[in-house]
Amino acid sequence: MPEYGSTEPLSRRRLMGLAGGAAAAVPLSACGSGAPEAGGAGGSGGSGTVSVYWNAGHDYAAYRKVIAAFEKEHGVRVRMQKYQWPDMRTRILADFASGNVPDLLENTSWVQEFALSGNALNLQKYVERDGADIGYPDDWQDATIKRNTHEGDTYGIQLHQTCSLLLYNKRMFREANVRPPTTWDEVVSVGKELTRGDVHALALNQDYTYAWPWLLQNGVRHYDPKTKDLLIPRSATLEALQFQADLVHKHKISPVPVPSTDYSGPQKLLSAERVAMIVSGPWDLEPIRASSPELELGVAQVPRKEKQSTILAGSSLLIPAKAKNPDLAWDLIKRLTQLSTEIAVTKKEGMLMPRKSWAKDPVVQNDPVANAFAEGLTYAEDAYEDLYLTGHYGELSGELFKVLYQGVIMERKPVEEAYEKYVDAGRKLIEG
Amino acid sequence: MAVQLPGRFARRRPRTLRGRQIRTAYLFLTPALIFFAVFYYMPIADIVNTSLHTGPQADEFNGLGNYERAFDDPAARNSFTITLFFALGTTLGAIVFGLGLALLVNRPLRGRTAFRLALLVPYLTSVAVVGLLWRNILHPHLGILNRLLEELGLPTQQWLNTNPLATITVVTVWQIAGYTMILFLAGLQGIPEVYYEAAYVDGASTAQRFWRITLPLLTPTTLFVTVMSVITGLQAFGQAYIITNGGPANSSDLIVFHIFNVAFDSRDFGYSSALSVLLLIVIMVFTALQLRAGRRREVQY
Repeated sequence: MPEYGSTEPLSRRRLMGLAGGAAAAVPLSACGSGAPEAGGAGGSGGSGTVSVYWNAGHDYAAYRKVIAAFEKEHGVRVRMQKYQWPDMRTRILADFASGNVPDLLENTSWVQEFALSGNALNLQKYVERDGADIGYPDDWQDATIKRNTHEGDTYGIQLHQTCSLLLYNKRMFREANVRPPTTWDEVVSVGKELTRGDVHALALNQDYTYAWPWLLQNGVRHYDPKTKDLLIPRSATLEALQFQADLVHKHKISPVPVPSTDYSGPQKLLSAERVAMIVSGPWDLEPIRASSPELELGVAQVPRKEKQSTILAGSSLLIPAKAKNPDLAWDLIKRLTQLSTEIAVTKKEGMLMPRKSWAKDPVVQNDPVANAFAEGLTYAEDAYEDLYLTGHYGELSGELFKVLYQGVIMERKPVEEAYEKYVDAGRKLIEG
Repeated sequence: MAVQLPGRFARRRPRTLRGRQIRTAYLFLTPALIFFAVFYYMPIADIVNTSLHTGPQADEFNGLGNYERAFDDPAARNSFTITLFFALGTTLGAIVFGLGLALLVNRPLRGRTAFRLALLVPYLTSVAVVGLLWRNILHPHLGILNRLLEELGLPTQQWLNTNPLATITVVTVWQIAGYTMILFLAGLQGIPEVYYEAAYVDGASTAQRFWRITLPLLTPTTLFVTVMSVITGLQAFGQAYIITNGGPANSSDLIVFHIFNVAFDSRDFGYSSALSVLLLIVIMVFTALQLRAGRRREVQY
């Protein structure tokens, strides 16, 4: 058996040559794999491809039909990449850092944040050219215009407009001989009638964004750009948070929410008939119908305190500033937001839309559920109005607020202490 | 036939056999070194560079500002503390349960191989699947565990609310104990039988044989398990991400999950990079301390 180093000189040279060749091949192969392919690696597609990031739950047949027509007319291929919102945010932020972005992005409430950071394309020139033809902004609900505007210019077009209402189990209400609550006091009194054994009246969500209907009903604003104050008025904020904590710990009509990545915990409890009502939006309707077809589901307006209010939600379309095909992306936006497309989506999927003319359409008027939500949209508010101006939208609306909400509701921390911590941390962030 | 190279090339060729061997070794190592440089060291250098910047695009130079902020940030301190407890808990659990299981399956049992395989299955399962599985089992209102407890007339649990960190620690120990069992099993089978026979002849009890022979001679394995478990514990992400989402109120906000949120929720890549660099330093310090302490106790046989 030959020892190491005892091979013939010629063989060793050959081996060295092979090793050198292999070493040279690594960077070459790396170059090869990193080069953009025809279909387009990463976010943006290659020539002839329009790259779109889309919410995984919004892949509706009506949109696929619009896209097919768009592809045929322009001779391009639309590459839809579908993500849940958190994954989409991760992906798009990584794309912004690399500069390899999609042509069109459906998003929740990031338009103003990305406009401020320079990542969203100013759509004003398109709106000035085509606005009258597509009815923008006149035919869009006023609240949706503001949340897509930065410094007076349009950076996004609202695609869906939703809100949270009371979803309830009609049978359980009938058996308890009560009606859906219309005030906070009634939430407690009705809740006590509905709570029996391991069945609770109302499930609060572990997801902190679901705290906002109650805060808005008490007149709370997340941020005042003039005074730079957070969560004001203070007393109204404390009262709204304390009210939610009391539903769980004092009145015991709500189970303690369970920490999770999943916002559908209350929906699952409603479907399993372990709670009588939840505050949620149309996104929970289909899962309830699918998992509990026998459940008699009712939709009622949210209760009022200082005023009747609920959280305005939905999604917008924006074009990244570095998109390779902005003109095509704009044309796709126009097609996706046509009234006929909106009506088709509502008819088939029950999704709510931002056009004023949509709310007046017979399809909406004759559907009790869509009609109830359409009424909710008239008083729904953007909980995060102007918060993006702080430059810390993500922290203030996300991590910090989560600690405040979950601390109070789930860990029974004193409301004032948790509030002061939030405000102090937020002030530090804003002041830099 | 030897080929006479031109002077310029001839000068570069190592004159000695040893020199040529070294050159050959380096040539063979080159692909791996390039791989590590491109996919490990360059990204680390990029992270260090990013950690010195701030802003949504991480393009404004900020010097050591992000590092100063990290020492002053209660959320970062909370995450580091939680993660240290988590790493300590999972390491202790992995050693105790891994060694216990290894001692059990090292005995002449019927179906021993099946037992070993069954105990290894959780480790072979992805953390995402394990997380979802335990999240569904432990759910206070809809989980199977509370239904079982109710059937048995026992009080129900709310561990995800009351003890989230301990819960994800136990779930992690459940997952990795099979792997450490295999490592300890290999260590046990490497201990010469002659030591046990001699101790038996000398009248040593089972406990004495374990404490005086098994444990000292397993020191290299224990050191390896400890180092790997601490590193894995400090780098844990999926447990917080999938089971508790770091909650309630960040009470299970493991540091890597926290860094992820700082980067992709708060959009602060500069600060998240600084936290990553600090985590790397913590891991290196812990590893060095463990190796030093472990080598002192190593028994040669």
